[in-house]
Amino acid sequence: MGDHNSSQASYIHLVHHLIEECIVLNMGKEECMDALFKHANIKPIITSTVWKELEKENKEFFEAYERRREEIPTEKETARRIRDLLSRTTI
Amino acid sequence: MLALSPATRDGCEGASEFLDTSCGFTINPEEEDEFPDFADHGDLLDIIDFDDIFGVAGDVLPDLEIDPEILSGDFSDHMNASSTITTTSDKTDSQGETNKSISGKGEEVVSKRDDAAAETVTYDGESDRKRKYSSSASSKNNRNIEGKRKVKVDWTPELHRRFVEAVEQLGVDKAVPSRILELMGVHCLTRHNVASHLQKYRSHRKHLLAREAEAANWTRKRHIYGVDTGGNINGRRNKNGWLAPAPTLGFPPPPPVAVSPTPVHHHHFRPLHVWGHPTVDQSIMPHVWPKHLPPPSTAMPNPPFWVSDSPYWHPMHNGTTPYLPTVATRFRAPPVAGIPHALPPHHTVYKPNHGFGGARPPVDLHPSKESVDAAIGDVLTRPWLPLPLGLKPPAVDGVMTELHRHGVSKVPPTASCA
Repeated sequence: MGDHNSSQASYIHLVHHLIEECIVLNMGKEECMDALFKHANIKPIITSTVWKELEKENKEFFEAYERRREEIPTEKETARRIRDLLSRTTI
Repeated sequence: MLALSPATRDGCEGASEFLDTSCGFTINPEEEDEFPDFADHGDLLDIIDFDDIFGVAGDVLPDLEIDPEILSGDFSDHMNASSTITTTSDKTDSQGETNKSISGKGEEVVSKRDDAAAETVTYDGESDRKRKYSSSASSKNNRNIEGKRKVKVDWTPELHRRFVEAVEQLGVDKAVPSRILELMGVHCLTRHNVASHLQKYRSHRKHLLAREAEAANWTRKRHIYGVDTGGNINGRRNKNGWLAPAPTLGFPPPPPVAVSPTPVHHHHFRPLHVWGHPTVDQSIMPHVWPKHLPPPSTAMPNPPFWVSDSPYWHPMHNGTTPYLPTVATRFRAPPVAGIPHALPPHHTVYKPNHGFGGARPPVDLHPSKESVDAAIGDVLTRPWLPLPLGLKPPAVDGVMTELHRHGVSKVPPTASCA
């Protein structure tokens, strides 16, 4: 029983770790589930469950993270505009 | 009278290498009429002008802000070189209590004396180096530390002890040469001698303080910023006991262990108290912590960003403002106390992780397949590596319950994942 619990804990920790890496890479939950399944063979349901639990434990972080991610399209757009501007500028 | 003029620095070349070899604050004993440290510390020139000082009001010695270099090397030098050192038995008694009150350098001198019963006092590494120099360079009794030209005062340990005694009595910052002379009751000393010795003593104290602070700072930064590559850093963190034991995939160690990096730094701070500067600890801490903690807290979702100072950091900042204060305040508190859970210590992981990711591009709107694969592969192959974000881990029970609800019973799955 002890072994069972610790192997569960280990596995969850692994998934937790992987999710953190995905967050570092600016990935969303779905992307993460996809990536972990493709690269680490982790069932998406497990990934999403761990993700949700992480969200519960780290509410503020995830709120900020989501807000951050929402800004990305506008950042992309801004970056594109800047690039545009720069390319048109002759020095 | 003695004149410590700016010209002295010219003759200090020989001393500079000496300085280099011995942690930067020794005095070449050969330069008996020089303050070698002047070569390295120009500000001394502004301060030391004994002619003026003693010409006008002999008791007044304004702004003796010598750099510690002078003092530290000096003391160990004449501690080592003097033949009177051998009469330690006498010194151990008398110096026992008085020198204990001296900070840092004095302490190490005393303790050494206490240890070495009869002869060679064994000082620490730097002192040994200095001793070698001094014993080879000049013979025992003619070592003149502060006498610039003619007057040579041999600051024997006994003499120095009385000096320190007097200084302590008067208060280091308030001690004035004439009063020190009075307290010492030594007739062969001039105020000049005492004044210069006092300068060195003060600068020595300051230097040791600065050194300790720098060492503490530097060590902390190495831990946090990861000067080396990721592998090294992570390995180092392992040694600190921060991480769970390598083979098992357990949860991160409980907070007492996770906090271990910080006690290390307390060790660094403790010597500062020895110098009798109780405020230093407090002043150091805020400098150290906020310096690198606020950035990571704002950058938590994207740790690499703040390092590269990418534009993303700024929108990040706005976006995460509500989060920042929570984390920041945690860090302003003493690192060990008052940390509710493992998150703050984990923050120190942020920097090492930069190395961990290897060649991960700093700016990633959308990570490439390769970087994702690399990151995941890293975790799978080296599960003991620190978590990059240090988020509060989910409760195992909660996860399992949720999974059971969704029909997942076996974790980790034994059957192939399909």
